[in-house]
Amino acid sequence: MSVQGPNSSRLVRYLSNRFLTLALLVALAFSLMILIPKFNAYSLPGNQRGYEPAQPIAFSHRLHAGELQVQCLYCHSGAEKSRHAGIPSTNVCMNCHRFVSATLGAVRAEDEVAKKEKRDPARVVSAEIQKIYDALALNDRLQPDPTKQPRPINWIKVHNLPDFVYFDHRPHVNAGVTCQKCHGPVETMERVRQVEDLSMGWCVNCHRGVDRAGLDGNENFTSRPAPAAQGNAPVTHRVYASIDCSTCHY
Amino acid sequence: MSKRKTKRHWKSLEERNANPDVLKVLGDEFPPGGPRQFRRRDFLKAAGFTMGVAVTTGCTRAPIQRAVPLLSQPEEIVPGRFLYYASTCGGCNAGCGVLAKVRDGRPIKLEGNPEHPISRGGLCATGQASILGLYDAERLQHPLKDGKSSTWADVDREITADLETIRAERGAVRFLSGTINSPTTLAGIQEFLKGFQNSRHVVYDALSNSALLDAHEKTHGVRALPRFHFDKAEVIVSFDADFLGTWISPVEYTADYRAARNLETKHVSYHVQFEPRLSVTGSKADQRFAVASGELGLLLSHLAERVAHKEDSPFASSQMDAAPVKEAFLDELAERLRQARGRSLVVCGVNDVRQQILCNYINHLLGNYGTTLVLEKPSLQSQGSDRELETLLDELRKGEIKALFVYGVNPSFELPGGESLERDLQKVPLLVSFAQRLDETASLARYVLPEPHYLESWSDHESISGVASISQPLLHRLGETRSVAETISAWRGSPKPGYELIRETWRNNLFTRQKKERDFETFWERTLHDGFAEIETDAIGGKPFSIQSVQPIWRAERPEANSFSLVLYPKVGMLDGRNAYNPWLHELPDPITKVTWDNYVSIAPKAAARFGISDGDVVRVDTNAGVAVELPAYIQPGQHEQTLAIALGYGSKLSARFAKVGPQWIDALVSVGDKGVVGVNAVLLLRFGNGILEYTTTNVKLTRTDKQRELACTQTHNTLSVPKKLQPKGSGPRPVLQETTLAAYLKDPHSGVEDHEEKEDLWPTDHPYRGPRWGMIIDQNACTGCSSCVIACQVENNIPVVGRDEIRRNREMHWLRIDRYYSETDSGQIEVAYEPLMCQQCENAPCETVCPVLATVHSEDGLNQQVYNRCIGTRYCANNCPYKARRFNWFNYAHDDQLQNLVLNPDVAVRSRGVMEKCTFCVQRIQEAKIEAKRRGEKVSDAAVQTACQQSCPSQAIYFGDLNDPQSQVSKMMANPRRYRVLGELNVRPAVGYLTVVRNRPEEATKGSKEEHHG
Repeated sequence: MSVQGPNSSRLVRYLSNRFLTLALLVALAFSLMILIPKFNAYSLPGNQRGYEPAQPIAFSHRLHAGELQVQCLYCHSGAEKSRHAGIPSTNVCMNCHRFVSATLGAVRAEDEVAKKEKRDPARVVSAEIQKIYDALALNDRLQPDPTKQPRPINWIKVHNLPDFVYFDHRPHVNAGVTCQKCHGPVETMERVRQVEDLSMGWCVNCHRGVDRAGLDGNENFTSRPAPAAQGNAPVTHRVYASIDCSTCHY
Repeated sequence: MSKRKTKRHWKSLEERNANPDVLKVLGDEFPPGGPRQFRRRDFLKAAGFTMGVAVTTGCTRAPIQRAVPLLSQPEEIVPGRFLYYASTCGGCNAGCGVLAKVRDGRPIKLEGNPEHPISRGGLCATGQASILGLYDAERLQHPLKDGKSSTWADVDREITADLETIRAERGAVRFLSGTINSPTTLAGIQEFLKGFQNSRHVVYDALSNSALLDAHEKTHGVRALPRFHFDKAEVIVSFDADFLGTWISPVEYTADYRAARNLETKHVSYHVQFEPRLSVTGSKADQRFAVASGELGLLLSHLAERVAHKEDSPFASSQMDAAPVKEAFLDELAERLRQARGRSLVVCGVNDVRQQILCNYINHLLGNYGTTLVLEKPSLQSQGSDRELETLLDELRKGEIKALFVYGVNPSFELPGGESLERDLQKVPLLVSFAQRLDETASLARYVLPEPHYLESWSDHESISGVASISQPLLHRLGETRSVAETISAWRGSPKPGYELIRETWRNNLFTRQKKERDFETFWERTLHDGFAEIETDAIGGKPFSIQSVQPIWRAERPEANSFSLVLYPKVGMLDGRNAYNPWLHELPDPITKVTWDNYVSIAPKAAARFGISDGDVVRVDTNAGVAVELPAYIQPGQHEQTLAIALGYGSKLSARFAKVGPQWIDALVSVGDKGVVGVNAVLLLRFGNGILEYTTTNVKLTRTDKQRELACTQTHNTLSVPKKLQPKGSGPRPVLQETTLAAYLKDPHSGVEDHEEKEDLWPTDHPYRGPRWGMIIDQNACTGCSSCVIACQVENNIPVVGRDEIRRNREMHWLRIDRYYSETDSGQIEVAYEPLMCQQCENAPCETVCPVLATVHSEDGLNQQVYNRCIGTRYCANNCPYKARRFNWFNYAHDDQLQNLVLNPDVAVRSRGVMEKCTFCVQRIQEAKIEAKRRGEKVSDAAVQTACQQSCPSQAIYFGDLNDPQSQVSKMMANPRRYRVLGELNVRPAVGYLTVVRNRPEEATKGSKEEHHG
């Protein structure tokens, strides 16, 4: 802030005495103008709900988990054994899609055309399933093609927790918490979206509720798999969900 | 409270001499010294404007996170779970078996293999830190030719062409290496050298045991290193052999030593140490004498004379000088040795053949060969020959060598040749180095063919005759490196990958030497699983002891009046300089001096007083040969008055990378010295003569210079004593460390323990521990101060490196520190005791009550939790902690090195600036065990959880487990009469108990302490 001598005019003195304050007010107004439109970008609890990003392959849970009734743990096998449920590696997809390359309707249509044209039906591959084959660099006959470069599939994580949260699927899955409780009715979703809040308060409320009244009304759950220490007989445990901080934050 | 005067413990000479300035500083946990003065109004204005700016940079939507699974996931890999693979540590030549914890396809932690006969579950600080060498961006990625990157094809072609010429000309080819105990590599080298008329494999160790080997050649006809069994010894006498610190195989010896000191069975060994400087082993000795290095030979002769006399054996001793130690004591020692005939062990760490022969003689007289020293199945951990090295250096000087291959050693740095050695090395037309980094010798070499890290390549080891271990790769090679065995096989025309070479050796040589498995594949699989295989070896033939070789030493080599004798020694963290690239080991406080990031000249207090030297004064050490080094001085209680000690392994080019380690701010001191490297290379002070590398020199002069270098020493930090101005009337020094003697302990197991009765609890229902309750016991009698727990904790918990400047300001980040306390006996001997200290997880924690945001709370299983995301950095908790166990993140410690970040443990948060952290009892391991138990439907078992420090301790000094389980080891230990709590009178009810140090001394507990100086 400059100091003016006794000879400067009253206006100059007035302005220079308040220069810094003026500058700060302008900066504040400026930042508010930029800030207010960005309000909806804050990651407040409840803000991630409804997140439904487009995935690199338009995988439909409604078809696989709903119509075909593939078990959640068939693909997301990590949920039982590890902290991360994981997105299945491409070899799990290929277990079926070695044979299934298009919808039944498309295959039938090709069959009819082939019959009319009196030739062998060609292999029909739907566009999305072709993406799996491309990721694995397979050729037309589904053999690895040495000229192509395999590239893993970059799925977008829908249910994202901050890095300082160490959530572990194992105690939840093994206690009998259904996948739908936190992930919603995934078997009805064409594209996965986040249904629940997944904020800390939401988690802690469920933990408290479970301690009070059990899980879905059951105070006990039966351990799966049955522990060898007890002679392979299933053991019943009291449901207990810790609300210690270090359960998730360490 | 008893009226008995408690033994006074002090951490530094300032504390002992009650220097008021220092005591004031000692009381401050966060010493003053902030930025320059700032007027308040300016500050507020700047803050206001900054806030405006900060807000505009704005928050955006959370960034998109991707999840990328493997294309084809192997069955055993589950993302988020880890696997253990057995391998062998390559940190030094001892060859301890390790289990590497592999997560997401890369190793992140090393743990000792509990079944391995050398490590038995423990691992030293060097071994724990060696994993950082894998993720090192300064490792060479490609072969170099004349300093420029090349390809393997090119260098192979050129080198084989050169070798052809040399073979035709019958030129001299030499392979210079450290001790190699890999059967595959050795076989490869032998085959390779066979192709040349004039070739030799010269082996030398920078930390040489050549005299020990030569001595056995003279006395037993075979040049071998016996395997020492400290667990079978009831009396151990060591002449400057630091077997618990750095000598040959410290992890193995520590485990054995511990086994022989078992108070529960009253089977306690008696350990006497004669040494010029205070070493880790000396700090554990029951009786320790500071003698000049030149007096050790005379002392050996005196002891040999007495033992020979008792065993009716001849020993010419008519004109021996007087012993430097009381005759009565030597008589008593000789008698004890005789009574423990066949169950005693005398070791000598001096690289002098005559002294080693005397040592062999004493062991022979006592019948120790065959029980505590086994020569038939020798140790292969040190095989160097100084004599052969001298011949090689001669040949180099004369320019006779046409091709020199250097592997595993750095002669330009480790040998006292200086510039002339550099010139000689450059004379060699084909100088090839297999170094991993561009060290001093590799910089001189024409070709540098980098070898891979031991965690990423196949190798094998036979460190002890009869135990063959495997080293398997745990991830793909990070860079185009090739192991020596592979390179040699390529040059011989049949390039084979390491895997095949190892299998070939094992199939042909090692599988045939065992009878357990009939099928090679099963044998191979089992070995890979276990990490090692026991194979049969032929006992090496030795001749009966040759008395003629024994030459008594009659004179002591004492320095003149104002001179000193100089001792050069390796430090626990740095060894011979191989770890100079490793920031963790530079920052590891030396077990005895607690100095980090520097080496220094240790000088005895009396000598320092005479010369007017205080800590940090740079002094100049001149030898007779005209060599001089300048180093800061450090006053070392317990050192012999006329001895100076300097650590080797410093001043290496590899440490030039630490010029900018730690937070960089305006007033920061650099971690490197004037020459841009950490410490000063003292190797020029080594002497090489008569086929022996001598680590001691007499008649060395000491002069003060005007310079100063502040040493970053942690020993004055975190004092647990109360400052004088706060001490209530009539209170004495706090019994932070409690010890007793064996005699007193046998009379009363509670002796020495000043534990306080637990007062009535004001909140008895506050913490109902329904499930497990975690507690820990630290046996201070077993702790040797080796500091492997400190490094293990650092690896496991992502603890940052802060640099010398921050350490100087009490800001080291180690969660677990080892406080080293000195005390004095009546006769003026300095004694040392170690107290590993970490967060005590107090039940009535003073830190929990003062956190304004409840970032630290008590868990239902007894832990004091620290929630990083809640902490706002008030530091009130650290203020309140009586143990000063909390560490604050003053800066965002840099994690820019993406490659080094691969070593971070994904289960532990990396803390940012402004957050308090502390030991969590490895809560991530506890959680993992609890969740796994839940998954399996079982109760969490006490044995399933091992904290990192507990797991790593070679001495098994830490017990951890469930206090609510009466059968657990830790519950039983808590009931041990030796158990006390540090600062128990504060009624904070720590979950960590300590067991007193029990020194095996015949007399009663020593009284108080003397006020005089003892140098």
